Amino acid sequence: MLRVEDLKVTFGDFKAVNGAFLEVEKGEIVAVIGPNGAGKTTLFNLITGHLRPVGGRVLFKGEDITGLPPYVICKKGIARSFQLLNIFPRLTVFENVQVAVLSQYNHSLNMLRPAKNMMVAETEAILKDVGLLDKADSIAGSFSHGDQKILEIAIALGNNPEFLILDEPTAGMSPEETAATMELVKRLAQERDLTLLFCEHDIDIVFSTADRIMVMQLGKTIVQGTPEAVHNNEQVQQAYLGGD
Amino acid sequence: MFKGVVTSRALLATGILLLVLLLLPPFIPRFYVYLVASIMVMGLLAMSLNLVVGFGGLYQFHHGAFYGVGAYALALMLTKSGLPQWLCFVGAPFVAALAGLIIGLICIRLNKLYFAMLQISLGSLLWALAFRWYDFTGGDDGIHAIPMPALVSSLTGSYYFVLVVFVLSIFALYLVTKSPFGGTLQAARDNPQRCEAVGVFVKRHQIIGIVVASFFAGVAGELFVVLEGSVFPDLLFWVLSLEILIMCLLGGWFTFAGPIVGAAIIVSMRTFVGIYTEYWTLILGVILALLIFFLPEGVWGYLLEKVGKKPSSYAAERGR
Amino acid sequence: MDVGIAVGWSELATQLLVGLSRAMILFIIAAGLSLILGVLRVPNIAHGSLYMIGAFAAFTVSKVVGGPAGFWLSLILAPLFVALVGFAAERGIFCHLYEREHLMLLLFTFALSLILGDLVKMTWGVEYKSVTAAGALQGSFMLLGLPFPKYNLFLLIIGPLVAIGLWLFVSKTRMGKISQAASVDRMMVGALGINVSWVFAMAFVIGCFLAGLGGALIAPTVSITLGMDHTIIMEAFLIVIMGGLGNIWGALVGALIFGITQSLGVLLLPQFAIIFPYLAVIIVLTVRPKGLLKSIW
Repeated sequence: MLRVEDLKVTFGDFKAVNGAFLEVEKGEIVAVIGPNGAGKTTLFNLITGHLRPVGGRVLFKGEDITGLPPYVICKKGIARSFQLLNIFPRLTVFENVQVAVLSQYNHSLNMLRPAKNMMVAETEAILKDVGLLDKADSIAGSFSHGDQKILEIAIALGNNPEFLILDEPTAGMSPEETAATMELVKRLAQERDLTLLFCEHDIDIVFSTADRIMVMQLGKTIVQGTPEAVHNNEQVQQAYLGGD
Repeated sequence: MFKGVVTSRALLATGILLLVLLLLPPFIPRFYVYLVASIMVMGLLAMSLNLVVGFGGLYQFHHGAFYGVGAYALALMLTKSGLPQWLCFVGAPFVAALAGLIIGLICIRLNKLYFAMLQISLGSLLWALAFRWYDFTGGDDGIHAIPMPALVSSLTGSYYFVLVVFVLSIFALYLVTKSPFGGTLQAARDNPQRCEAVGVFVKRHQIIGIVVASFFAGVAGELFVVLEGSVFPDLLFWVLSLEILIMCLLGGWFTFAGPIVGAAIIVSMRTFVGIYTEYWTLILGVILALLIFFLPEGVWGYLLEKVGKKPSSYAAERGR
Repeated sequence: MDVGIAVGWSELATQLLVGLSRAMILFIIAAGLSLILGVLRVPNIAHGSLYMIGAFAAFTVSKVVGGPAGFWLSLILAPLFVALVGFAAERGIFCHLYEREHLMLLLFTFALSLILGDLVKMTWGVEYKSVTAAGALQGSFMLLGLPFPKYNLFLLIIGPLVAIGLWLFVSKTRMGKISQAASVDRMMVGALGINVSWVFAMAFVIGCFLAGLGGALIAPTVSITLGMDHTIIMEAFLIVIMGGLGNIWGALVGALIFGITQSLGVLLLPQFAIIFPYLAVIIVLTVRPKGLLKSIW
């Protein structure tokens, strides 16, 4: 469904991504791992159009989406959550998700009707799914970190995506929250028929959730394969898993 | 469709206010009728600015330019074009909106301070044109004794005209802020990156916001001409633009009604303080300074917080 | 509407020089603004009012002392006075506001400019004032067959002197280098144990001095009136933005463009000369939105 070929980007002299390869089949759960600074978030930014690559291609469902702006890529069916909290802090939880839903159904430019009563059922359905319905009227900025991260995911779901990219969805969470979130994510992927791509630092999570894993280091893809294959790969062991 | 958007309390208060405004002219001296009308004109202008500054987060520092364009457009059309009067009235705000579109398109590529400065220089260009082009715009004398339709040539007539247009415009602006467009604009203010990620073409959204705001600024400019019967280049000078910004700040720019409150306060104070002293500017400066120190939410925003309503969001009255 | 008159080379050259001398004053004022903008990150709208105070103060000094001595003294005392006013404003109020949002700081400087403007009105009244330059600088001499004011020549000398002085200060003195560092990374400078607050105060005071100097220098060439602050502050801001925020050489480039386009505009379309600098700004910002030279932001 998604294919990344030899993607490259530089910031000045720094080659943040220098040859990234990725393949995600429909219905899969794929994780990207790598040490800090390996370029994972940059790779995600390249895929979703927040950054333009200087080389390489991104293909989605056979179509070349390299370098398209984020709002176009979103409409093609790719949604994403961000690593550093990226919600709308001054709006309520309901409104946060509603922005995405309205955009998805092309109502964003509608100036004539009050938004409050539009797309309520759809928005509330998403909030119910992630367990935030009872907090729908609270201002998003006042929440705990963990709840805000879940809101991040909820906003992404507002776009009814086929392909969901999660950038460190459990960063900063306690072990209980982390487990609960990953359960939620897996359940959502099943219920909504989503293909999932995420990156994480917590290796246990990754190995227990992902169908396949891609390992990055210094902007390059080292290997992509099943958890066992990755675990046994020598390069990966040396570079990352601490096979000293 | 409108269920639950406005509380019955707010509706009642607005209704009473409207009634008062409707019945006002026979009961108070002419001077106060003029004052209230001026407040409405400035209030509309400030509201239109707040659409892009408070709700949109753009540094629209020369909004007054569109006000001036609307006023001059009407004045020039009425005095020079020979078009039927009603057409001039309908057309002038569209000229202002066009100016908003052009200037907006040029400035939108830039961020924050650069956006503001480019807009100021474009607006100042218009001011310089109006100021110097004596043959066409009357130069720094402006244009006077503009012929008005009989209906609005008296003070009372123009008061009611201003009132009706004001109410309709405010209602329209209210609809816009509560609409998906308004909500998305606010989301873009808070987090443009996230907005793009959910499929919103942020820059296009913002330009449309600027065009709508310029349209209503042009309407305010028209109302000025109706009330005063003349235009001057000062309408296009940047100091006026900063004054309306202060009105928004004073009232509270994350609220809807804040700018009107700010306009009412500033216009009234300017009139009354002006009777006692010629140093109104000093007092305005002190007020502004105190505001920045102590009341960043503005007067109206502060009051709203006191009665327990949050001053932001586009569906604030949910379920009350 | 005149669309241009026959222009000979000597007219062109003279106009160019007139534009250059005007640009020198614009540079001095813009440099002060740029310095404050760069180090303190504050767009100081009150800068125009300080310039106006400089002009009025120069008037008072030259009237009180009288004669050529009065003029020369005003060039020193007026900027010092303005610097003092700036110091009081900074220590008294400004330094408490640095953590606020930019928009708030900007609006606060606007409030300050309103207050200072009326204080000037209170102190000096509303009538036009004028200052006479020292005898040596009055009148014109012949240049390329056309009269060229001696005062403009004086400006053409002072301008580069100020520029060199500023450059020496910024790159050679310890204080100057610290301000440059502070404009790029104030936290690091603080971490090095340097009192950042005093660096800010000093940068602000120097900026105000320059504003006052600009006012004192322009005093003999124009009628000193209220409202001077409004016209100059817009021009100064546009120059600073054209040149690159916080960049003093940028202020020079911007001032040159501004001054020259205006004076050449007088030759082409005298009625609309004022439009040319604005057009130049628009063109520059459209092509290079961040300004011509490197911006500190």
